[in-house]
Amino acid sequence: MIFSNEENSASRFFILSAVFWLVIGMTMGLTGAIEFTAPDMSSGIPQITFSRLRPTHINTVAFGWLSMANIGIALYIIPTLTRSKLFSDKFANFICVVWNLAILGGILCLTNGYTEGREYAELPVPIDVGVLICLLSLSFVVYMTAVNRTVKKLYVSLWYILGAFFWMPIVYFIGNRTFIRLDGLNDGIVNWFYGHNILGMWFTTLGVGIAYYMIPKLTGRPLWSHSLSMLGFWTIAFFYAPTGTHHILQSPVPEWLKALAVVFSVALVIPVITVLTNFFMTMKGNWWQLANNLPLRFVLTGAFFYLVTCLQGPFQATRSINWYLHFTQWVPGHAHAALLGAFTFFNFGAIYYIFPRVTGKQMYSVSLARMHYWFTLIGFFIFYTAFTIAGLVQSAGWHAGVPVSTWVVELQPYWIIRALGGGMMWFGNVLFFVNIFQTNRGVKPLDSPDVEPAMVPVPKN
Amino acid sequence: MNKNYILPALVILTSFSLIIFSTVLLPNFIFKPSPSEFAVKYSPLEASGRKIYIREGCVNCHSQFVRPQDRDFGVHVQAGDYVYETPNLLGTIRTGPDLSNEGGKHPDAWHIAHFKNPRTTTPGSIMPPFSYLKDDEMKALVAYVQSLGKKRLVKYKRIYHPDELEKLLEKRNVNTNGSAEANAGRGIFQQNCATCHGTHGLGNGPNAIQIAKKPANFSRPFFKDYDDVTWYWRVSEGVPGTRMPQWGRLLTSKQIWYLVAYLKTLPRENEVYPKEYETLDPEKWVQQYKISADELNSQKPAMIIETKGPPPSTEGGH
Repeated sequence: MIFSNEENSASRFFILSAVFWLVIGMTMGLTGAIEFTAPDMSSGIPQITFSRLRPTHINTVAFGWLSMANIGIALYIIPTLTRSKLFSDKFANFICVVWNLAILGGILCLTNGYTEGREYAELPVPIDVGVLICLLSLSFVVYMTAVNRTVKKLYVSLWYILGAFFWMPIVYFIGNRTFIRLDGLNDGIVNWFYGHNILGMWFTTLGVGIAYYMIPKLTGRPLWSHSLSMLGFWTIAFFYAPTGTHHILQSPVPEWLKALAVVFSVALVIPVITVLTNFFMTMKGNWWQLANNLPLRFVLTGAFFYLVTCLQGPFQATRSINWYLHFTQWVPGHAHAALLGAFTFFNFGAIYYIFPRVTGKQMYSVSLARMHYWFTLIGFFIFYTAFTIAGLVQSAGWHAGVPVSTWVVELQPYWIIRALGGGMMWFGNVLFFVNIFQTNRGVKPLDSPDVEPAMVPVPKN
Repeated sequence: MNKNYILPALVILTSFSLIIFSTVLLPNFIFKPSPSEFAVKYSPLEASGRKIYIREGCVNCHSQFVRPQDRDFGVHVQAGDYVYETPNLLGTIRTGPDLSNEGGKHPDAWHIAHFKNPRTTTPGSIMPPFSYLKDDEMKALVAYVQSLGKKRLVKYKRIYHPDELEKLLEKRNVNTNGSAEANAGRGIFQQNCATCHGTHGLGNGPNAIQIAKKPANFSRPFFKDYDDVTWYWRVSEGVPGTRMPQWGRLLTSKQIWYLVAYLKTLPRENEVYPKEYETLDPEKWVQQYKISADELNSQKPAMIIETKGPPPSTEGGH
């Protein structure tokens, strides 16, 4: 499998690795959440101390799960939309091996204290080089596939995916350039350019690209408006990049940079509204399909969380709201709504649709998939609500001048509830892991009757 | 390559490079703050402590910048404070307190006990224990934490009794009876005190609801007995056991004198100003109330009127 040149083998390898890292990353997140309520749990073991676990969790779910799943899905979508073979499955498989080694190395480095100390860019230099080489090689594979296409017109998903593969190596390089030493605040500005654009130029563009592919495909209806989708693409390309400074809005960085960040953050409402209008108008008259179409249900749940998170984003980037909400648990809640609620749900839906197709095998169990949906959804609601309310309590504490040791006690119930929600999601995703790996093994016979129509593997032609 | 895609490709390239130029390169060309007096140039021990701070991921819970709205956190940071801070440790979340002014707040032994098990020094804390740090690492980390903020808050020396302020009185360069000074003090009061003490100093600010020991109402008669030094001492030292902070750590001595000038003008409760107050001739007042001109000049009229005017009304303030 590792060095095979079989069609879709790279996509399959990427998705399998992603699901594996998802379970590892969520286990870390859950451990961290429990440590909030039982802080002495990590006693004496540096590797599981919360402060080391948090960056490891972020890097594992961001680069291990979400990036690899996005790439795996993109490697299936691109050949389908261009009606051509992937430029080289063998090369992509090789990249996947390197990427997995980079994630493994990254986890080992971060838990053992080898870190660069910049948020979202913690991975040490050798791992950065590995990831950058992987990204550049993948861009090469993706662009060569697009150049060799047999369909003339580019569907909007391809615009998004090609855009992401163009931007991400640049953004990653800027964020992790350690050989150029910048003074404190300049370092912070560049750090947050990277920290925010890895979301905007990579996760958002790929996630929205995937959803643009999945919704028409799963409903069997054409996209509502192509010109609107192009408007969304170009506005996201223009508006996303300068917004990073809103993470350090009240630090002493130049005012014009903050103003730029706020204005562009608010302008991000435009791409969000266009994208979601397009999704929901495509769904018009097709909502009944949610009843018996599990992948579609995942993708649309993701779309609703995308709406929530993207309305929160511009609102909390304005100075007066940021004044109150910054530094609190509200913000990690928002980050989870984007990466877990929206893009992870897009990917779940896409994987349930794509995985039987790339392996040519029957999905192991539809009921496990349904349990996965409900555990993750309900767990996420509990988790997100706890985060949000804890954030409001915390900011009230800051602004009344109550000392930290006082309001920390008030937050205990929210942290317990958050860990419970996280535990539900963790359980749901262990089921997902079992389901995907059993599917890969081909446990269920191809002619078995109990399967959702959207998950039937299409015989290869 | 198909010619249809040359134009969009060019647009992508130009727009993206323009944005990168304006948000990544331009700030580095035009934003070069010079080191401020609080920029810490780390000693080798402190620098190795900073590496441990980074290694242990302290930045994931502790920020290092004081925002304008953070009261009681100390002096606001300036751009120049961060010149030697690479990589930046600004932080984006405060699960624990801000550490910009941590240096000198606690003795070294406190920090070591706190790192080994935070619950021994701070009950209810959820900070993980760092008991696995070796002794030399611990020493370096404590040295780094003590260097934060260059002890800007601890330069302040505590005054234990108002009598100690007599020396301060000699150096005073603010006329605490002047109306311009009182006006300057009013601004400082509205910015720092009004949230608890209320805009009229009646102890009914918005935060007063949440405070168990209620903030002082300055219209109470005994406040009228305070002399300048007592006022200064109260403001500068705070009130132990209440939420009244030690403003001497946060405000300059000149600012506190302005504040004293304003606090002295606050009216006594149930006191009513005669309507003709503005137009009164001081000469007539001297005759009417039998006080000397010197005494009149040394005090605000509000303090000598007492309640000789019309019957008391329930309204406070001016």
